[in-house]
Amino acid sequence: MIRTALKTAFAHKLRLVLTALSVMIGVAFVAGTYIFTDTIDKTFSQMYDNIYAGQDVIVQSASEFDVGFSGPPPMDESVLDTVLSVPGVAAAEGGVGGFAIIYDKEDKAIVPTGPPTIGGSMTGDLRLSGNIGLRDGRVPTAPNEVAIDARTADDHDLHVGDVVKVQTPEKVAEYEIVATLRFGDSDNLSGATWAGFDLKTAQELFGLQGQYSTISVVAEDGTSAGILRNSIAAALPAGIEAVTAADESASQSQALSESLGFLNTALLVFAAVSVFVASFIIQNTFRIIVRQRQKELALLRAVGATGTQVIWMVVIEALLVALVASILGIALGFVIARGLTAVMGAIGFDMPSTAAPLAMRTIVVALSVGVIVTLAAAVLPAIRASRIPPVAALQDVDVRLRMSDRKRTIIGSIVLAVGLALVVDGLFGYVVALGPLNELSAVGVGALLVFLAVSLLSSRVVKPVARTLGWPLPRLDNLTGTLAIENTTRKPRRTATTASALMIGLALVGFFFVLGSSIKASASAAIEKGLRADYVLSVNGFSGGFSPLLGETISKAPEIAAVSALRFGYWDNNGTEDFVMGIDIDTVEQTIELGVVDGSIAALADGGVFVQKDIADNEGWTVGDTVPMGLATTGLQQMPIVGIYTEAAVVQSNYLIGMDTYKANFEGFGTDVDYVLAVKAADGVSPEASRAVVEAAAADYPNVEVRDQTEYRKSQAAQVDTILVMFNALLALAVIIAMVGITNTLALSVFERTREIGLLRAVGMTRGQIRRMIRWEAIIVAVIGALLGVVLGLFFGVVVTSALSSQGIDVLSIPTGQIIGLVLFGVVAGLLAAILPARRAAKLNILESIAYE
Amino acid sequence: MTTVETPTRLAARIEDAYKIYGEGHTEVRALNGVSAEFETGVFTAIMGPSGSGKSTLLHCVAGLDELTSGKVFIGDTELGPLSDKDLTLLRRKKVGFVFQAFNLIPTLNARENVLLPLLIAGEDHDEAWFDQIVDILGLADRLSHRPSELSGGQQQRVAAARALVSRPAIVFADEPSGNLDSKSAAELLDFMRRAVKEFGQTIVMVTHDPVAASYADRVVFLEDGKVVDELDDPTPDSVIDRMRTFGG
Repeated sequence: MIRTALKTAFAHKLRLVLTALSVMIGVAFVAGTYIFTDTIDKTFSQMYDNIYAGQDVIVQSASEFDVGFSGPPPMDESVLDTVLSVPGVAAAEGGVGGFAIIYDKEDKAIVPTGPPTIGGSMTGDLRLSGNIGLRDGRVPTAPNEVAIDARTADDHDLHVGDVVKVQTPEKVAEYEIVATLRFGDSDNLSGATWAGFDLKTAQELFGLQGQYSTISVVAEDGTSAGILRNSIAAALPAGIEAVTAADESASQSQALSESLGFLNTALLVFAAVSVFVASFIIQNTFRIIVRQRQKELALLRAVGATGTQVIWMVVIEALLVALVASILGIALGFVIARGLTAVMGAIGFDMPSTAAPLAMRTIVVALSVGVIVTLAAAVLPAIRASRIPPVAALQDVDVRLRMSDRKRTIIGSIVLAVGLALVVDGLFGYVVALGPLNELSAVGVGALLVFLAVSLLSSRVVKPVARTLGWPLPRLDNLTGTLAIENTTRKPRRTATTASALMIGLALVGFFFVLGSSIKASASAAIEKGLRADYVLSVNGFSGGFSPLLGETISKAPEIAAVSALRFGYWDNNGTEDFVMGIDIDTVEQTIELGVVDGSIAALADGGVFVQKDIADNEGWTVGDTVPMGLATTGLQQMPIVGIYTEAAVVQSNYLIGMDTYKANFEGFGTDVDYVLAVKAADGVSPEASRAVVEAAAADYPNVEVRDQTEYRKSQAAQVDTILVMFNALLALAVIIAMVGITNTLALSVFERTREIGLLRAVGMTRGQIRRMIRWEAIIVAVIGALLGVVLGLFFGVVVTSALSSQGIDVLSIPTGQIIGLVLFGVVAGLLAAILPARRAAKLNILESIAYE
Repeated sequence: MTTVETPTRLAARIEDAYKIYGEGHTEVRALNGVSAEFETGVFTAIMGPSGSGKSTLLHCVAGLDELTSGKVFIGDTELGPLSDKDLTLLRRKKVGFVFQAFNLIPTLNARENVLLPLLIAGEDHDEAWFDQIVDILGLADRLSHRPSELSGGQQQRVAAARALVSRPAIVFADEPSGNLDSKSAAELLDFMRRAVKEFGQTIVMVTHDPVAASYADRVVFLEDGKVVDELDDPTPDSVIDRMRTFGG
């Protein structure tokens, strides 16, 4: 039986390949996601290994938590003497680090999108410098000297001896490049730009005079890092900790990996969509195959094969497809990982690309996904195959083995109801308690069930929809059009399943279109309402700040009435990462309409927090309550709520604190820069004049964009568009799988209709007409899929948007152009999917076709 | 009814035709130097034992297959030099087909199937002519039915109507009554003969059934890829008599 199955499988190579292709792409996405995130993990752990190489113990302020590249708060220089006095310490040196942007020869800021722009002090003792090595030049020793990473130097044609500007929190100044640096085996720190100064200069530039961020310690020979750590720790004052370099490296890279964990999850969700779509294709293919092989299977039954043996035949073919596809899929995963790197790069996250490792976990997960999904999809067709009666071999009867329409409708309706209930409950949370499912998974599972249900139910509408859609065809293209419509409606379930596969991808695209458009419209309206300032200064992209000197300079100009800065900080919100904005209490009201509904901004001066109204309502907080906030420097603080506000679009944070409170609690690396400056011009100053002043001040800070209100609104919309592009790029794979599905179904249908095509050719249909007929058929199927997708996408978009209205997304916006574009995309998808089957059909030999059984 | 004006004009002819499959030891000569003429307004039957090349002859004359060497003409047009597209257009305009089985497109109803060649061409049809054919064939009340709702005899009659509807120069029929019961077969063959007698249609039919052949005006006998004999005004008995001499 196994041999029979294998023989049949290989006898239909094209079918095998096309079926395998859909599984393969889905598996490749899963494998690619793991390879991609593993690559990132590996890069970061290598980076930290490099940073701490050669060191034994690190002394630093104990901080609540580390987030990404942010560092610990500084400590007093005197700690170094304490450390040096501990027996077993061979060498120790303090160092500081912080924000630093190198400018190129044209005075443009070199700002990689994603990785940070940082700098630090360079140690004189090479044992303490980790893997930082000189490629050429020498360690900086004077206040006007800088060492830069070799990648930045190479990319921007900078050499030892050149003079460049560097922006640090305390000043923008010119420095002579005295060295280019390598970090272990790489020319930079995972994409970050790095500027090194001598210790004294670095302390001044980062505003850390008399302070160190960290102290690196090398143990004497024969003293283990762990023991030395213990003895140093015993000598340290409170609030300062000692950790082994190995532990620090591991915890830093783990923290970074965890902060990128969402990426893995998000990508796997998209991969799951692809796999789900692929399962439709597999199921459809096997159903068609079983139908086409009805006579053959019946003959096997007639000569004594049991029903179970027939099931095994189909299952073994499925298994074969699954294995071949999964193995190829894992290989293709490397390509997908590259693609993901490109997608992230395209939207502004430069990802370092070291050799991508293939973990055992990746192989196991990818193989299991491929095999389980394929087998699950083939089970129903296999059972159906086993029910073919032996008599079918002898009679030319079309044995009906499918579920009745009635049964299908009932099951479809039930699945639809459950799916909708889950979606609604997940979004609004008032139907039933969800038990183990959280809201997001409830919405996800619900959406999945809705897709399944629509695919089950849509076979009922295929006929009328195809006829309606195809209405112009017979007029456009007479008979080929008519035949195309008839062909799509003669097997409504096949058409429905094929179209549904396309529906899923396009529904999600449509959903993101509606959601994105609504977010843009809501943000735009909110900014219009909330922004009193004439100009907003910020760094392009998703993160990154600039020196506070800029704000100081602008505020001195007589044309300017007020400058208000926003600073950004992470805090520990009961185990999850949240963020808070530090605001300038004196000027914020002149530049931002906070929509204070309770309390007063002046009260922030005493160290309390303002909470966004929706959060406060959800938590039941009012002025006078306290919020437990885990803050970087000071640990857990019971912050009193001194006000409630409604604005969210400009401050982009649900928690606001005064700038003094911010400085007291967020001292250290990455917190000494402004993220946003809101600038209000003085009364009577012309826009040209005020803009000129702001632009002139910002000229020294080329990483900063100056935008007026309109430009700022557009830039916010552009950020949403960027994310939309990424999501759609990720959904592209699901859409491609669906297109492969259309191709596969059409190819199998062409095969099934060989005699019919032969007859049409005999009585005078040209090859061109045959091709057009198949093309129209593909377009109809694809457009049905696109329309179903658009309807579902609109539905999900509207529902989710209304569920998010309390989160500031209170304007529903339907992007008509994009939605129409989706349907047109269906036409193109159909055309592309039809290329191969149409060619195949047109090439059929007339005589062989007519004689074909 | 109209009488045939130029009875001696040729609807199709084949000259010194060879059709060779394979090479060397496996070489099969399906046509081995066949020459034949098919006059306008004549119902010709091609007979011969299995493997005599009768179907190959039909396919080659009809432009469905290519000769290895030799010439084929439909009217005055030589088929050999035509491109696939020109050949297709020629079949559409000048040739009608009735096959043994699977003659109809299952998604089209009987009326559309009859009109198929004209629908493919995007041309209007002669309603009176259509009505006449349909009426003679007794299909008038079956026109809105799909092939799956028609009996085997009705299906073949629809195919016959399709073959005539565009008034082709010649109709080729490949065992048209092969799958039919004797009553349906007689009805179909009778109609084909009427089409020749009353409308001056030219028909070439391949058959192995002497009774079917007896409906023709003339029988061409093929054996081993060659024309071995001809018989005018055949009867079932005369055909059977002639057939007995084969293979001996």
